[in-house]
Amino acid sequence: MIEAVWRLESAKIIAGLMRVVRDVGLAEEFAQDALVAAMEQWPGEGVPDNPGAWLMAVARRRAVDHVRRERRHDRTHEQMAHDLRDGEEPAQEDTQDDTLRLMFLSCHPVLPPPARVALTLKLVGGLSTAEIARAFLTGEQVVARRVADARRILADHRVDFELPGPPETADRLGSVLEVIYLIFNEGYSAASGDDLMRPHLALEALRLGGTLAELAPEPEVLGLLALMEIQTSRADARTGPSGEPIPLHEQNRGRWDRLRIRRGFTAMLRAREIGGPPGPYLVQAAIAVCHAQAPTAEETDWGQIASLYEILVRLTPTPVVRLNQAVAVGMAYGPQAGLDLADGLTADPALRNYHLLPGVRADLLLRLGRHGEARGEFLRAAQLTDNAAERAFLERRADRIPPDDHAGVLLGEAVGEFLAGLTPSTARSYGQTLHRLCVALGARTPLATVTAAEVGRAATTAWGATAARTWNRHLAAIGSFSAWAQGPGLTGDLRRREQPPPVRRPALQGEPPWDRPGVALRERVLWCLLHESAAPVSRVLALDVDDLDLDDRRSRTGVSWRSRTARLLPELVAGRTRGPLFLSDRRPAPARRPAEKDLCPDTGRRRLSYERAEHLFKQATGRTLRALRSDGVEVGAGRG
Amino acid sequence: MRYLLLSLADENTPAPDERLFAEMGAFIEEMSAKGILLATGGLEPGGLRMTSAGGETTVTDGPFTEAKEAAVGFALVEVTSEEEVLELTRRFRRVVGDGVSEIRRVL
Repeated sequence: MIEAVWRLESAKIIAGLMRVVRDVGLAEEFAQDALVAAMEQWPGEGVPDNPGAWLMAVARRRAVDHVRRERRHDRTHEQMAHDLRDGEEPAQEDTQDDTLRLMFLSCHPVLPPPARVALTLKLVGGLSTAEIARAFLTGEQVVARRVADARRILADHRVDFELPGPPETADRLGSVLEVIYLIFNEGYSAASGDDLMRPHLALEALRLGGTLAELAPEPEVLGLLALMEIQTSRADARTGPSGEPIPLHEQNRGRWDRLRIRRGFTAMLRAREIGGPPGPYLVQAAIAVCHAQAPTAEETDWGQIASLYEILVRLTPTPVVRLNQAVAVGMAYGPQAGLDLADGLTADPALRNYHLLPGVRADLLLRLGRHGEARGEFLRAAQLTDNAAERAFLERRADRIPPDDHAGVLLGEAVGEFLAGLTPSTARSYGQTLHRLCVALGARTPLATVTAAEVGRAATTAWGATAARTWNRHLAAIGSFSAWAQGPGLTGDLRRREQPPPVRRPALQGEPPWDRPGVALRERVLWCLLHESAAPVSRVLALDVDDLDLDDRRSRTGVSWRSRTARLLPELVAGRTRGPLFLSDRRPAPARRPAEKDLCPDTGRRRLSYERAEHLFKQATGRTLRALRSDGVEVGAGRG
Repeated sequence: MRYLLLSLADENTPAPDERLFAEMGAFIEEMSAKGILLATGGLEPGGLRMTSAGGETTVTDGPFTEAKEAAVGFALVEVTSEEEVLELTRRFRRVVGDGVSEIRRVL
């Protein structure tokens, strides 16, 4: 009951308190006080007539008392207290402006995007930390930390609780829209998950969008609202009974939610009445409208959609938008026109692992009657996607295409055979290169049709930006494979690069990284353990709780440590008896479930990955984890 | 989740006055803007009734004397919990005064 009131009223209450105390932390604290008071009093005395106003009055009284006390202690707060109107309710327009101010504040550009999302959901949406954590499949502590960081950053930057001036408004509004759309997508793209919290996120984004559209009815705000309404209208129709995705043109349009569509149209009409040049959200909404208006997939006005994409590409020329344009053009002006656009994207590094690029190409190739290539592209798309349902769907599509009989040996088969004849360590090293090549060119592509130009493009896309040493290693692998296959050379005009002489990085110096303030327990233990054991990083990350012999200070897998790690370890183990020692912060999405041995049976979290561990250390020190175990480590004795 | 709210009235329910119209207008506006209220409307008291039995259909005119209370208004809302729909209905009842609301989850 109190929670429900809070969900509906939190934005108004927090915003009203901000007007008094001008500090997010304090505003939240007083709101919390009011909630506690409600929990104590309502069950006994009955729910007040207007629970929202009751909460506001209690919280406001505490806030005003606080400012008065401060004023007595500190004259500089006089300014703060200046516009306090004790006991008096702010006028309706003021409350509305306050809510808008609050949205601008929680989406402030000084905050990193995850902090903006967490703070907005907490302050404006009234969600609890636990709810936000569940929605984003992460731990409560992570969310709590993001919110706390956000509060600190806002305080550090002395961000004002004021509406931005006109020149800044557009940018700041853009930031709010971005946050709302981020929240929406997080909920919408995962709408098939088991946890209801994720669809709720999409709903929350719609509420935020609706509120914003009331407060700031700008065309882009209405455009985003329309876009979200129309996308939501398809929520029930876009997955089949077993959770498989149903593409737009196969959806049962009778299951589209007409109410939502109508709301979307209304928002579009309001935007159109205001006029002005359309922004990206409005154009995307217009595209969604085209689909919503088509009674059947065949009647879709693809010509109109293709021209809208042309506008969108000019406004936001991202590779993903251009890929969608290729689809629309393919529908409007034939598969060859679409394929020409899609082919222009294959060298884009941003799309290198994006399964929809081969997916789109496969569709177009199929329509052009190029069956062998289409099949290869579907399989490549299947290889790249992380979503099990989608992978099965793409593989089914590939299977429906008959393979070419006289294709000869396939690239994937040839690579397998080549690697099988090498020593294990060479096979591992060459395998990295050649598997990447298979993903880029399609493992089912006939080896005879692979050209040096394609290999060159794939290599440049994949490794063009790497260091000379890495580049040369990949090149050597391709060259060796090419010589083995005895076909035309595959390295073409790819050249080895001059290697700079190795630089000796200085050892870590100064305060040991694990003693730095703010380092989380898991990182402290990991860094300490790496330093004390000098064991390889992968072996340390592979440790399971039941490998450890805490008394003997060593593991069954041959990692041993000294006193500092020994002191820290019990806290990290925290009573666990099995599963990985170092766990990630979040539970894996259902489709990304790792192997059993990498999953903690108690918390459901996965083993901390090398990449993540490396990233965290790099962020903290600018160095790689190996620096911890290198011989030349010079770390002070520390305070530990 | 969606709920259908039905407000019921009998012959003792007072007719709405101007104050109620204004308050209800503001409430509807706020809830529609948030996307909580998807559709709402008043219902004529009597209406028609169709009965089918053994393949035969019969149409009768209202009002129906056997029913003490009749639905006089409906609202379709999208909420995130049962608690929330209760709180919404509470606010609605505060505006309209004494009476009965029925709350049905749309499945």
